[in-house]
Amino acid sequence: MNAQRLRNALVDTLLVGTVVLLLLFFYAPIATLVAFSFTSSRVLTLPIESFSLAWYGELFSKPDFLPAVRNSAVVAAVSTLFATVLGTAGAVAWIRYRFRMQAAFRALTFAPLLFPQLLLGVVMLLWFSVLGSWLGFSNGLFTVIIGHVVYITPFALVVVAVQVYGFDETLEDAARDAGANGWQVFREVTFPLLWPGIFSAAIFAFLLSWGNFYISYSLAGTARTLPIFVYSGIAVGSSPIYPALATLNLVPALLLVVTAEFLRRRALKRQSSGNLAS
Amino acid sequence: MKIEDKYWRDPVLLAAVAPLAVVMIAFFLVPLVMTAVLTFQTTQYYRLSWSWDLKIWTEVFSKPHYWTIMVRTVVMALVCVAICIAIAFPAAYALATRLKTFKTQIQILIIFAFLTDAVLKTFGWILILDKNGVANWLLMHIGFPADALNLLFTPAGTMIGMVYNLVAYPMFTIYLSLVRIDRDLVLAAYDAGASRLRTFFEVTLPLSRPGLYSGAVLVFVLSLGAFLEPKVLGGGTAPLASELIRQSFETRVNWPLGAALTMVLIVIGALMLALSSAFALRRRSAPGRPA
Repeated sequence: MNAQRLRNALVDTLLVGTVVLLLLFFYAPIATLVAFSFTSSRVLTLPIESFSLAWYGELFSKPDFLPAVRNSAVVAAVSTLFATVLGTAGAVAWIRYRFRMQAAFRALTFAPLLFPQLLLGVVMLLWFSVLGSWLGFSNGLFTVIIGHVVYITPFALVVVAVQVYGFDETLEDAARDAGANGWQVFREVTFPLLWPGIFSAAIFAFLLSWGNFYISYSLAGTARTLPIFVYSGIAVGSSPIYPALATLNLVPALLLVVTAEFLRRRALKRQSSGNLAS
Repeated sequence: MKIEDKYWRDPVLLAAVAPLAVVMIAFFLVPLVMTAVLTFQTTQYYRLSWSWDLKIWTEVFSKPHYWTIMVRTVVMALVCVAICIAIAFPAAYALATRLKTFKTQIQILIIFAFLTDAVLKTFGWILILDKNGVANWLLMHIGFPADALNLLFTPAGTMIGMVYNLVAYPMFTIYLSLVRIDRDLVLAAYDAGASRLRTFFEVTLPLSRPGLYSGAVLVFVLSLGAFLEPKVLGGGTAPLASELIRQSFETRVNWPLGAALTMVLIVIGALMLALSSAFALRRRSAPGRPA
């Protein structure tokens, strides 16, 4: 019996150890980059002799990266809006409705998820190039936005679909019985219940778009987003301003995740106190 | 879950389905068809000419150079699948069955790392794997000789990057199929006297198969398009298919060639997808094998 317990303890340790190692693996490059952004030295090797904000100063003294930040923000904001709205509508159609050609609709809206981003980018690049030569436009931010919407909407759809799947539709019936019309049911019952899923989908969408390299790289033409700017920088040679820039790139994502977690906790708390009151 | 039957003349259904369907048809399906069409054209003086012939396909099939790289891409993808599953399964299992207290925090950490810019993470790996990088520095301090690891600009460096960028996908799919397993089935196996090990292999593992298969397929198809990893971490020493495609667009300005190579990769991915779903279905309907 003791041997059995020992073995169980060993299995537990191994399993928990895998997760710990995996987290270390995930955060090793991110932590390295952040650490090197604070070095005072010109070479990016250990040991870091002293810490300074010199490279952040250097970065802001020559702010040629700001247009890239603006482009990234515009692309992420617009694609998040479209991907979340389209993904939410799609998720409801996926899970709650049954209609002719639903299988085709599901395949069509899920397929981009099975495409490597580079291929998705190339396929759309070909189409926009042909279209552009017919209609007389060249690729720019709007083609990047279209590309991001195609790539990100399936992710948003899956995230919302999980929420729709756990949806209690008797609440809608109750609202209808109480005399609410279709729009009121949607606004007062359906939307609030789906909101957590929609909110996570929007965060997912924003971060996927903000950090996207492959599709932007294929479709941006001469425009630059932040990941493209960093990519061209590391291709040229690893100047210490790039770890600083990359660290700044993390900040909006971090703020967003922290805010989301805060809101989620508050909603949970409110929900449980609401249950107590009833 | 109540499912409503809807008809196409219902405006609610149209509002939910039509915008997304239009976007996907116009910017995903049509471009795919266009890519296939372009493979039958040629270029002259860096300009596309609508010639409708098989010149590009004969070129693709007659040059062993392309196929060496395609085979290398598929081999790298398969190795990546094996490593990702080997890491993702125990991690997902631990997350689903142990670690109750910190589960949400760990999930958020994983999702945050997953959603962080790939260029940035790959850049971080350069700093770690470089000859004077973090990994060698740490190894030196625990007694290894200097330059113990030489992974940057090798296929191993590429593989580390690929596993890093893709391992989260099978973690999600396996985790989702593990938490859906009815706990009573596991308890029933214990009641019937099965050991923990036997229960794992006869109940948990078979029931998590959908997650395993879908995770493996996702890693395979997505690693076919790996581009940053072989270029930045592999240093271009062992180029993969993505590099061929990029070159045919950027260096050679040969769209039909790039389109044809893209189609080859898509067909390989689709074949693997069909193969694994056929395999999964056959398993499900095999006699004497529930689930």
